[in-house]
Amino acid sequence: MIYRRAGISFTRYQDERRLWKLPTDRWAVIVIFALLLVAPFLVDRLFVVGYLLPLIIWSMAAMGLNLLMGGAGQIHLGYGAVIGIGAYASVHAMRAGLPFELAMIVGGLASAAIGVVFGAAALRVKGLYLAMATLAMQYIVDFVIVQVPAISGGTQAALSVPRTSFLGIAIQGDRAPYYVALALCAVLTLFMLNVRRTSFGRALAAVREKDYAASIIGVDPFRYKLLAFWVSSFIGGMTGAVLAVCYYRTISPDQFHLDLSIQLVAMVIVGGLGSVLGGFLGVGLILFAPIVLNQLIGLAADQFGVAIPTDLRAHLPLMLYGGLIMGFLLLEPLGLAKIYSNIRNYLLVWPFRHARQ
Amino acid sequence: MSLTRRNILTGAAVAALASQLPLRVALAQGGDKVVRIAMPMDFTKVYTFVTAEYNQGQRDYITMMNQRGGMGGYTIAVDISDHANDQPRAIEAYERAKSQGAVLVDPLSTPVARALTPRALEDKLNMVTAFSGRSDAADGTVFPYVFPLSPNYWTQAGLLIEYFKQQDGGSLDGKTICFVHIDTPFGKEPLPVLEALAAKEGFKLQAFPYTPPGNDQSAIWPQVRRARPDWTMFWGAGVGQTVALTEAARNGLDMGRVCSSVWLSESDMDVVGRDQTVGVLKFEPCVSGREPKVIQDILTEVVGAGKGAGPEDKVGTSYYNYGVMLAALMLEGVRRAAEIAPDGPVTGEWLNAGLNSITEFTAEGLIPPTTITPEDHQGGGMGRVARWNGEVFEPMTDWFSANQDVVWDEVRKYSSEFAKTGQ
Repeated sequence: MIYRRAGISFTRYQDERRLWKLPTDRWAVIVIFALLLVAPFLVDRLFVVGYLLPLIIWSMAAMGLNLLMGGAGQIHLGYGAVIGIGAYASVHAMRAGLPFELAMIVGGLASAAIGVVFGAAALRVKGLYLAMATLAMQYIVDFVIVQVPAISGGTQAALSVPRTSFLGIAIQGDRAPYYVALALCAVLTLFMLNVRRTSFGRALAAVREKDYAASIIGVDPFRYKLLAFWVSSFIGGMTGAVLAVCYYRTISPDQFHLDLSIQLVAMVIVGGLGSVLGGFLGVGLILFAPIVLNQLIGLAADQFGVAIPTDLRAHLPLMLYGGLIMGFLLLEPLGLAKIYSNIRNYLLVWPFRHARQ
Repeated sequence: MSLTRRNILTGAAVAALASQLPLRVALAQGGDKVVRIAMPMDFTKVYTFVTAEYNQGQRDYITMMNQRGGMGGYTIAVDISDHANDQPRAIEAYERAKSQGAVLVDPLSTPVARALTPRALEDKLNMVTAFSGRSDAADGTVFPYVFPLSPNYWTQAGLLIEYFKQQDGGSLDGKTICFVHIDTPFGKEPLPVLEALAAKEGFKLQAFPYTPPGNDQSAIWPQVRRARPDWTMFWGAGVGQTVALTEAARNGLDMGRVCSSVWLSESDMDVVGRDQTVGVLKFEPCVSGREPKVIQDILTEVVGAGKGAGPEDKVGTSYYNYGVMLAALMLEGVRRAAEIAPDGPVTGEWLNAGLNSITEFTAEGLIPPTTITPEDHQGGGMGRVARWNGEVFEPMTDWFSANQDVVWDEVRKYSSEFAKTGQ
């Protein structure tokens, strides 16, 4: 009733081929995008700068990783390093005088070139062994950044990002960085939604399910595994550039440590492997649950006079956070995207429960 | 209520919304005569007990001064949160502080302080980076809103070398000094100053990096022993420090010739063994122990009244006193600001003027005379060397400052680079 569908299937191919097949979904996307567009004028700046902006940028990273993990079935524990390479390459390019638009591409290419070298390990090893190979990448990149002052920026190891602009818009203040990130994220989201419908996306899915089988049906696993690493690393590198310019404004090696890689893997898994929407939901949960829980405990401590010692006050949110993730994974191992899809399926036929879906 | 998906999801949504309440409340309360200080710190990840003790000192001192009627008529409101050394969380906390009208932020974390520097400069929000952050922030002309308010690591290294020199009869020529450090930007930071001093004083500098976080340094210390150092400096934080001390003791180094930066405390000694480490030296930025008048006052007025922010046995420990030191400096800044412009309005600029005019402040004998000027945000770079005697750190020298020319060369080198490219 809510989705106004009465079991009528599509009558034209072009309806079947649409990205969002139901009008309700299309409207939901339009409304959410419109809300995101006017958000800086509607809500407190804190929510734009402190929540929406990181949500958008981390979602871009999660989508890049999801292409590899959910799309091609290759685990990557060094995605933080991929983002780091992109960030450093693009910032150095900008300091050398390149405009942001080009520097972003440079960052993407640098990440893709280095990422594909380590991705080559995927041609030989799978699963846990690939996890180890990508983990090695994380540590090697960390080490190189810290040890080479020309990359890290000297003893302070903090590289300021020069003031720059994107398509003529100066990236400064609260709003411009948000809109730049939003625009790039929108482009990337459309790419990710479409990629699975292309021959490339289908080939990745074939490799993901079984690489022998893929080669039997004529999909070259060698080529597509490397391509998956290339594309995913390119997205990671571009995200690194956006992260540096729109959010951090100073980059230092610790921003791209293993923590970031693990965080991104967690976002992809909690959100739902292979799902674009799941990426956004996973980022929302993993990035903000600690903050929100911390504030909740703080609220309880301050407003309601719950006397808890400082140590517990600091660690309680972490315990709750751990519990929350375990709870989500126990209740719905397929991730937040599956929870959303369950709700959607329920509403599709509401108020009936057993209609054909 | 049973554990169903619906309940969990609804609960999560309600909780998420409820947590946004305090911001609104705080914004609504924004009354006059309140100076807001935000302290998003790392209580859980890397610094852990260091932060807990430091923050306890800060809060006890602020509680005491608020009880006495505030600073120049202004009450101090403190907002504490945990950023776990995670930058998105720290940036969120910073932006929250800015929205709530805070005029001072103390993140107590080097990576976070470095990341927040451009924001603080742009927003004109004062940021205290005591024993953390960029060392070149001592240059107030380039970093007008960043306040180390404490001897930076270059100063600490320079001062320790001067102490070694004094002990060895005024010359370090031909001596070997080993520098054992964590292999991070923080650990490598003193190297340029040490190299400059090695060239100047003629000692041989040998650096031994260990991999972070420093749980295992067993491969490094035998090499240090083989180098037969005249002096050894170990540079790390948290767990790396206790491991370094354990290894130094195990390799039979003379404890009286092993020396640390500010990051060594009674708690570390409890871990290694109070008797095993007798003689070890450290840089001390303020008096430790309970003798100073401020600490005595806190004991009677705050802890005695049951308003202490943490366990009583931590009062007077090294990190607790660092916290008191920094809180005292911040509040002195507030007092000076209230003197300059009694009616406010309370803004970043208002407090900035106060902090920049702190003159010969000693916090009633807790810290060396500290003067902050618009040029020098380090405060003179004075400290002293203290020795662990098995019970407490006892001072070996008076307050002094050394090698500031080398330090300031380095400060200006990096600050000018920042000025050139950071805008």
